[in-house]
Amino acid sequence: MKKIKLISLFLTIIFLSSCTSTLKPVKTSSSKIELDLFSSSVDQLLTNEDFLKSEILKINASKPSIQRILNESDNFWIQGDLKRANSELERALRISKNESSVFLRLAHIRLEQGLWFESGSFAARGLLISDVSSWERLLLNVYARD
Amino acid sequence: MKNRIPIKSILLILTILFGVFTVAVVAVIDQRVTSKLDGVLWTVPAKIYSRSLEIAEGGKINIGNLLKELQLLSYEEDDNPTNPGQYYYKKDSIKIFLRGYKKQDSALYEINFDGNKVDSLKRQDGIRIDLIALEPMAIGGMYPSHMEDRLLLDWPQVPENLVKILLAVEDQGFFDHYGISLKSISRAFYKNIKAANIEQGGSTITQQLAKNLFFTPEQTIKRKLVEAVAALLIEFHYSKQEILLAYINDVYLAQSGTRSIHGFGLGAQHFFGSSLKNLDTHQLSLLVGMLKGPSVYNPRRNPKNALNRRNIVLGVLLRDGLIEDESFKNFKAMPVKIIKPNYRSETKYPAFHDLVRIELRNNFEEEKLRSEGLSVYTNIDPIFQESLENNIISTKKKLIKKYGKKLEELEGAAIVVDIQNGEIKAVVGSTNPYQFGFNRSLNAIRPIGSLVKPFVYLSALEKYKQYNLTTLLDDSLLSVPVSANSNWEPNNFDKKYHGNVPLHKSLWQSYNIASARLGIELGFDSVDKTFKSLGIKKTIPRYPSLYIGAFEMSPFNVIQAYQTIASDGFYSPLRSIREIADLDGGTALSYPYKIEQRFRPEPIHLVKFAMQQTFTKGTARGYKQKNIDKWNVGGKTGTSDDQRDSWFVGYAGDYLVLAWFGFDDNRPTPLTGRTGALELWKSFIEDIDPNAGTKTTLPRIKYVWTDMNDGKLSGPKCKNSIHTPFIIGTEPNNIPDVRRKCGSASVDEPSSVVKKLKQVFEKIKE
Repeated sequence: MKKIKLISLFLTIIFLSSCTSTLKPVKTSSSKIELDLFSSSVDQLLTNEDFLKSEILKINASKPSIQRILNESDNFWIQGDLKRANSELERALRISKNESSVFLRLAHIRLEQGLWFESGSFAARGLLISDVSSWERLLLNVYARD
Repeated sequence: MKNRIPIKSILLILTILFGVFTVAVVAVIDQRVTSKLDGVLWTVPAKIYSRSLEIAEGGKINIGNLLKELQLLSYEEDDNPTNPGQYYYKKDSIKIFLRGYKKQDSALYEINFDGNKVDSLKRQDGIRIDLIALEPMAIGGMYPSHMEDRLLLDWPQVPENLVKILLAVEDQGFFDHYGISLKSISRAFYKNIKAANIEQGGSTITQQLAKNLFFTPEQTIKRKLVEAVAALLIEFHYSKQEILLAYINDVYLAQSGTRSIHGFGLGAQHFFGSSLKNLDTHQLSLLVGMLKGPSVYNPRRNPKNALNRRNIVLGVLLRDGLIEDESFKNFKAMPVKIIKPNYRSETKYPAFHDLVRIELRNNFEEEKLRSEGLSVYTNIDPIFQESLENNIISTKKKLIKKYGKKLEELEGAAIVVDIQNGEIKAVVGSTNPYQFGFNRSLNAIRPIGSLVKPFVYLSALEKYKQYNLTTLLDDSLLSVPVSANSNWEPNNFDKKYHGNVPLHKSLWQSYNIASARLGIELGFDSVDKTFKSLGIKKTIPRYPSLYIGAFEMSPFNVIQAYQTIASDGFYSPLRSIREIADLDGGTALSYPYKIEQRFRPEPIHLVKFAMQQTFTKGTARGYKQKNIDKWNVGGKTGTSDDQRDSWFVGYAGDYLVLAWFGFDDNRPTPLTGRTGALELWKSFIEDIDPNAGTKTTLPRIKYVWTDMNDGKLSGPKCKNSIHTPFIIGTEPNNIPDVRRKCGSASVDEPSSVVKKLKQVFEKIKE
């Protein structure tokens, strides 16, 4: 019985290995394209503040109530009213303390205000949140890198 | 022949003199009229508000605290809430008819709960919504010396109904006369005779305004004449609408302590806890009726008089065709319902007000604060504040019961802070928290005892290549020469030496000697750097007893330093004020959330681990494990020399709370941090029952089992083992032979089968 189990496990492994090996040439090619795209996106994030902002504005909150506040904040932000945008974001954080979407916005607003250190601190704080997506983590790292 | 001055000339001179005199008098009155109406009338004291409670779908909620909040805001329980200020609670659901605040409509909302979560939020029409806000509580103001308080209304905020009732009762010919009206005087005289009651005064609204603004209530002909001139001048300078608005904002309605309540806007808040626009005809009639005698017809003091007077006003409305007969009957049948006096009353929460005032005076001139109608929105949570006040009183009572009357003069202070953003949620500065006076939370500068130790240990753990939680510290006799012929030899609280102890144990057991030796090893500069990064601005004294707490700080400064630790190394300046709005609602000043990362989160995590052990094994041991897990608590006790100060600082959920007890004259107490301040901390936290705190993730931290005595590797099944966090790469690797057997089944080590399978799948992935 034990032998049968071992043989079936071995065969499964062989099968899976062969599958991955046949896919390899195709995967390498598409990965390269994706990697190039990814690299250029990262370059833009690091060099183009407007692109970075547009990416931040795409990040949604996990709760509808917070999203509603984010929408209000984003409107103020787009109109250039950073004070009120900030005030709405603080409101969101009082309701839900672990929203990476809020920390990202705070990090960028501080950047626009010229408060580099604070911007990095907000991002670093956002990085402590559990369940942050890889993309959000990457964006937070853009601010936290210093 | 004598030169006689002709009588005509004398008369002419007298006439000219009289004319000049009259013009001068009128000019003086005119100057007073314009200056007062343009200036003083619009003097509005700054108002101070609590935070507004927001309830979000999917958010956390403490139902008990919500019900307390509704009571504080004078909401009434009613099976069928149909008016603003009413609610109905049944299991898992509450209906609240909100009074409305800023963008929040006054309407009926239903909240359904699922445990401590908001399951759904619905409007009366069944439409689901995300968020509702309760109005903030007015907790006081910055009143001018005359203590007049008002809520200034603009014309669009004045209900049409109020104008109709006011004119029907006070001045029916208001839009026809020029300030004084012989017709209205004679009509009032006739009506009063006919009704055998004084229904209507002879003075016009303009005359009443003149009287209210400028003159004393004495009844003399001279005063009446000046009042009449002033009324004519008011009519000359201002439109009817401006005069009516001034009157509506100025009338005196009640006294609340030393503060006088002026105007219908504040009157509505004071008696009904609601804005004027929400009031129904019978409520407006009550307010208008009070003008005849604010004291005699005060519904709190003389409810029967107030009811009778209201019904007379309703009768006038019926007679003049302003309401139908049926409405009259309905309104008349309604009881006089007013809110409890604790809401919208005098300045509350004295210690918190001190904080607010200091902050305000840093940014505004006193005159501006007392006159320009600023709205100060603060961070105070009235539920927390009430609980803190009650608990400092009850804890002192318990301590007196336990230790006797010698503690009757015991003083105390406590502060509650939101860990993440530094918002101050509650403060008390005395064991008699209702009185203004010496505010110990800000001004008592006391030795902090062992509260200093986490700062010293953090300095060590930041040097993670040198120190980790299991680094052994020497807790044997320490003798430090401090002068030519004297040595400083610190003692432990239990007067024992403990030999070599792991660093974490030394912290949660609060060993003095090991801590002093660690501080000396680190040096002043290193510890000073940590102090500064924590937010302590004071220069540290360069003597070794500093490391065990011979260092004086105020509770406020201590909790600021602990906020940096509790928030994983992110310093946020403590804030009592959120925003200040000017009279037209625009932001005059905001106090934005600021953070600065002062420490890496990993060394802070290690310190917080030891602070959590304080509750399970250390100086605050014996606390319910259920609560430790629920709120993820951590803290530190502090006791100064001769037990003169009893301190405790600890976090639970999202909040950090500091408590202190001691005597003002610095005499010893029988209290330690554990037996005194910790008791206040525990009773407060259990009362407010905070939601579970924010969870963070630290990939660079790894937990391994270590021995509590030698600090070396251990296992979950070994005696005296503790699951200890390490910054990856600093954890011990070799298990001592004596624990090889019990330590081999460590939960961190996957079984060999799982390991092999993992390896296979790793290969497949490659």
